[in-house]
Amino acid sequence: MSDQIQKGILKKLLLKSGQSSRLWAAMGALFVGATLLLLAVMIWWNFRELLYGKNQQDTLGSTFMIIGKRVTEQNMGIKNATIFTNLEIDSLKMAPEVQDIGEITSNHFPVYAMMGGRLAFATDLPLECVPDKFIDKIPDGWKWEPGSRDLPIIISSQFLDIYNYVFAPSQNLPKLSETSVKSIALNLKVGRDDKAETYQAHVVGFSDRIGSVLAPKSFIDYGNNKFGKPGASYGVSQIILKTKDPSNTKFADYLTKHDYNTNAQNLRWSKIRGIVEVVASATGVLALLLMGIGSLVFILFIELTIAKSKESLTLLLQLGYSPKYVAKYMTSKFLPLVALTLVLAIAVTTLVQLIASKAAVAQGLVLTMLPGWPVWMAWVISFGMLGLLVVKSIGNAIKK
Amino acid sequence: MDLSLQGVIPIPLLEKVKNRQSGIWNNTRSFNQGQYIFVQAPSGTGKTTLIHALYGLRKDYEGVVQWDTTSMKNVDAEILSALRTKNISIIFQDMRLFPELTTWENLELKRRQTNTVTEEQTSVWLERLGLKDKRNSLASTLSYGEQQRVAIIRSLLQPFDWLLMDEPFSHLDHANTNKAIQLIAEVVAQQNAGMLLADLDENSFFPYTQTVIL
Repeated sequence: MSDQIQKGILKKLLLKSGQSSRLWAAMGALFVGATLLLLAVMIWWNFRELLYGKNQQDTLGSTFMIIGKRVTEQNMGIKNATIFTNLEIDSLKMAPEVQDIGEITSNHFPVYAMMGGRLAFATDLPLECVPDKFIDKIPDGWKWEPGSRDLPIIISSQFLDIYNYVFAPSQNLPKLSETSVKSIALNLKVGRDDKAETYQAHVVGFSDRIGSVLAPKSFIDYGNNKFGKPGASYGVSQIILKTKDPSNTKFADYLTKHDYNTNAQNLRWSKIRGIVEVVASATGVLALLLMGIGSLVFILFIELTIAKSKESLTLLLQLGYSPKYVAKYMTSKFLPLVALTLVLAIAVTTLVQLIASKAAVAQGLVLTMLPGWPVWMAWVISFGMLGLLVVKSIGNAIKK
Repeated sequence: MDLSLQGVIPIPLLEKVKNRQSGIWNNTRSFNQGQYIFVQAPSGTGKTTLIHALYGLRKDYEGVVQWDTTSMKNVDAEILSALRTKNISIIFQDMRLFPELTTWENLELKRRQTNTVTEEQTSVWLERLGLKDKRNSLASTLSYGEQQRVAIIRSLLQPFDWLLMDEPFSHLDHANTNKAIQLIAEVVAQQNAGMLLADLDENSFFPYTQTVIL
């Protein structure tokens, strides 16, 4: 209690009233700076997680691209000319920027798809399979075992786009949503003549990554064994690559050198990603600048407060109050304000992260609900540095 | 705690001091705790300069001012604070109260540093010096005489080995001077402290053990 009264009197002397608008302005500047800094780190980290995170299943992550050997006038007549050799596959694993590779296996047996009703059609259907880790997001029911007559398939998102924006308007057919497509059953006739088997196929998911129709690997292996040529070994004609940065010239040179072709769209996406990284970095620089200005404004406010109390401060020291005691008192008044401002900044950042993670889910991306560790690290460092700055500036101002 | 002065000459008074004889300036003197020293200082001889040098407020002098082994010229700020809180108390000539604080707050600010004097005791002292009804008045509204009495009480609200006084009764009438002298004498005796009073003219406020002409 005794201490409280003494501190109450000190407050009257050292923290003159009538400065509240300046205090709010100083705290506001610090808040804006700190929030922008944390948001910049958050944006940077989120992009990093989306681009390079281990758990990312989406195309926004590492760029996935399908490569094949270019068909030229010279090799178009040569059998197995577009098949990858084991040596080439091993070389690809070691290629610049390549993080992982997956062999694409296609069906070597006939598949005939039919559908009745208003959308009646019948067509030969090429199927492919890739290792599950290369699928954007593994949908529910993505499983097939011999004996099962239900076959889950994943189709390229582009197919639906072509149907909805090109085919349906020209044929006066209704447009279809992803959900409605999933409810449609296709009748499949698999295999030749009297050995043929029938299946009911359901679209269980859509892929941005692969431009064909995917079936579970177990089904393709089963079909190739049962309906393919006995004892035949089917080489790999296409490979899916997980690459860190396909815009790297070393990677592009590698593809050119080996005469592999790929989808230029992926390279374009990579350029967009590069732009996003530049924007994120620029935001970071701007945020650092604003944080610096915010801190400066706050420190100047502290120094101004001390300067305004100079006479009282001098007399206090003359009466035997130690500079350390007065500095400790002033610090105890200003540090909680810094803490409050930074707590508000991290609260806003956390809220934005929460909103971003929900928005990401809607886009099929995965973001954590809470800001990543670099954001917390930036918060701790900011707090530490600001705290140190406040303590130092108070100490120096009192010494003056 | 003993005080020693060795060849002290304030730089602004350098020429003046060299041309005249002084019992303090440019001399070697030592005073022991418990002594009552009167420094008679005609106008312009550096009375306030001496008190401020002893209290560590001024360092623009040649020579050495030393409390026991602590030299006031190079003393560390924290040690100086400890000296001012526990060993040396002062009554400034210009009172130096906080004008924005009340009489009581001015006293509490000092008293609560060490809590060696109780609130009750402080109230009694206020009453003895006729300031009971000024307890909640802002210092800025007090007369010089009232301010001087508050400054006197404030100087007694801490433990001390020495009480430095710079014209402590200059704004007081005889009655109030006597009351203040009585209070100071009591507290100084209680604390077994010494005192050093600087004033313009000869006086017999206290039973001085030594009189020095500045």
